[in-house]
Amino acid sequence: MRMRMRRRRRKGILALRILLLLIGLVLIGIPFLWIVLTAFKEPVAADASPPMFISPLTLSNFDSLFQDGYAKSLLNSVIITTLSTGFTLIFGIPAGYAFARGRFRGRNFFGAFLLFSRMVPPVIYIIPLFLFFHELNLIGTFTGLTLAYLTGLLPFTVWMSASYFQGVPVELEDAARVDGCGRLRSFISISLPLALPGIVSVGLLIGIAAWGEYFIPLILGGFSTEPATVGIVNFVGIDGSSWGPMAAGALCLIVPVFLATLVAQRSLIDGLTSGALKG
Amino acid sequence: MATDAAPDVRARNAGARVRAYIDRHFLAFASWPALVVMLAVTAVPFVATIGMGFTNYNLVQPGWRFIGFANFVELWHDPQTPQIIFNTFYIVIGLTVLSTVLGLLLALLMRTAFPGIRIVRTLYTLPIMTAGIVVAITWRAMFNNEAGWIDYFLQSLHIPQPLWLGDPHLAIPVVVIASLWTAVPFQAILLFAGLITVPRELQQAAEVDGASPFRVFWHVTLVHIRPVFFIVVLLRLIDAFRLFEQIQELTTGGPGIASTPFSLQIYDTGLLYQRLGYAAAMGVVLVLLVALTVGIIFLILPRRS
Repeated sequence: MRMRMRRRRRKGILALRILLLLIGLVLIGIPFLWIVLTAFKEPVAADASPPMFISPLTLSNFDSLFQDGYAKSLLNSVIITTLSTGFTLIFGIPAGYAFARGRFRGRNFFGAFLLFSRMVPPVIYIIPLFLFFHELNLIGTFTGLTLAYLTGLLPFTVWMSASYFQGVPVELEDAARVDGCGRLRSFISISLPLALPGIVSVGLLIGIAAWGEYFIPLILGGFSTEPATVGIVNFVGIDGSSWGPMAAGALCLIVPVFLATLVAQRSLIDGLTSGALKG
Repeated sequence: MATDAAPDVRARNAGARVRAYIDRHFLAFASWPALVVMLAVTAVPFVATIGMGFTNYNLVQPGWRFIGFANFVELWHDPQTPQIIFNTFYIVIGLTVLSTVLGLLLALLMRTAFPGIRIVRTLYTLPIMTAGIVVAITWRAMFNNEAGWIDYFLQSLHIPQPLWLGDPHLAIPVVVIASLWTAVPFQAILLFAGLITVPRELQQAAEVDGASPFRVFWHVTLVHIRPVFFIVVLLRLIDAFRLFEQIQELTTGGPGIASTPFSLQIYDTGLLYQRLGYAAAMGVVLVLLVALTVGIIFLILPRRS
């Protein structure tokens, strides 16, 4: 009797928990639903007051987006994301390895510096960079933007990849080095492949961060290098209308990231958590 | 013949020596490029900001000079400063406390075992992956007084709809709500990763001893995840101090400066009004405020389980 009651209560609690989780998902989903619905609405319906939930489907929002050069902005986003992710990994991975593997001159300084640079709000770096770049004619160039993106991405990458290299047993490398393998060889052919799953998730996370970056290109970008995150704001009317093209632009920004998230869900969640928790 | 071979051997020795040198200092070689880049793009600008804070540098008039603490004195007497500091901490504390409490509840729910929980967890990460500017634009549409869904919902329930973005008392809460949309899942995912490390035996032992579920949570689970909890709070604080696009796009810091925190005020002063020296001085104050807050968290929040 008692057992049965307890079991029924258990089931009730389970149902309640699932219900709460699903309510949460609905709250999370409503803004996404707005983006998807509005992106395919006719402009009049998208701005209608009160909101019109149903409207004939149309691609006209995308047409007006791309007539305004949004395709170029998206291309710029792809270029900047590729460049900054690539260079961050090239600089960051060996440094993360060194940081994980121990003693060298400047290690403590390096560690303190990593923490500190995470703490400082980016606006502090961007104002002087704006002046330096102005002097060096780097404003509005991909080179300048890539350099500026490194401010946030590089410390994160060093930190994260260090935690992955720590998971690779040193003994494996020691064994190889007894057999006459140099440090560089043992890094490239032993530690790097073993830490690769972690590095892939770091790469994805910094790629997503670079793709969504707004503040840096807002200040240091130029007309011809403007990424989609900055370009989309041009569609905000003074009265905040023309929601249709804006939702279409937002959809273009979120779809690639969502595909990446769904394809690599395991590795992304691992990366997200270990990056923060091992720090 | 022998003399011909000698330079070759020496060259090979030199090559070997270089290789041995690289081998011995491999870790230094691996780390220095990154360190140099980081010094160039973060340390140098940081020092430059401190230096600029003591100048009257601006983009309107050419030439600049050191003016000592004049910027800081001006900031101290600026009638806007108390409001800016209040806004900064209102956003930081509101966002950190709410996102962590709600995130912890969500993390506890994420432990529920049922088929499909993995995809549910993944769906919860989607807001984290969404570009900040998209979050800002979308919530601006949600809170829009003409076409917004929130007003429509309230209207159908016959609840009055305030002027969300134009009301000085509502501007910051609206910004916080929009930011919670990404911050709560973020806190939840990290806290969940901490929760799954809590040994089941520990919780079961407490239950056998007759502890109520709440007491088990409070005295066993929460104590066990203290290190994670600490980091999650710290990361959220740091991120809340740099919150920018949600504010700029939702309220542009308004009405007036009712929702302007330091991050936006520095941007406005430096890049809109082009008073870079004064903006840099504000930046120095902001860094001190962040450091102070982080210090307080280190003092009051337990880090060890």
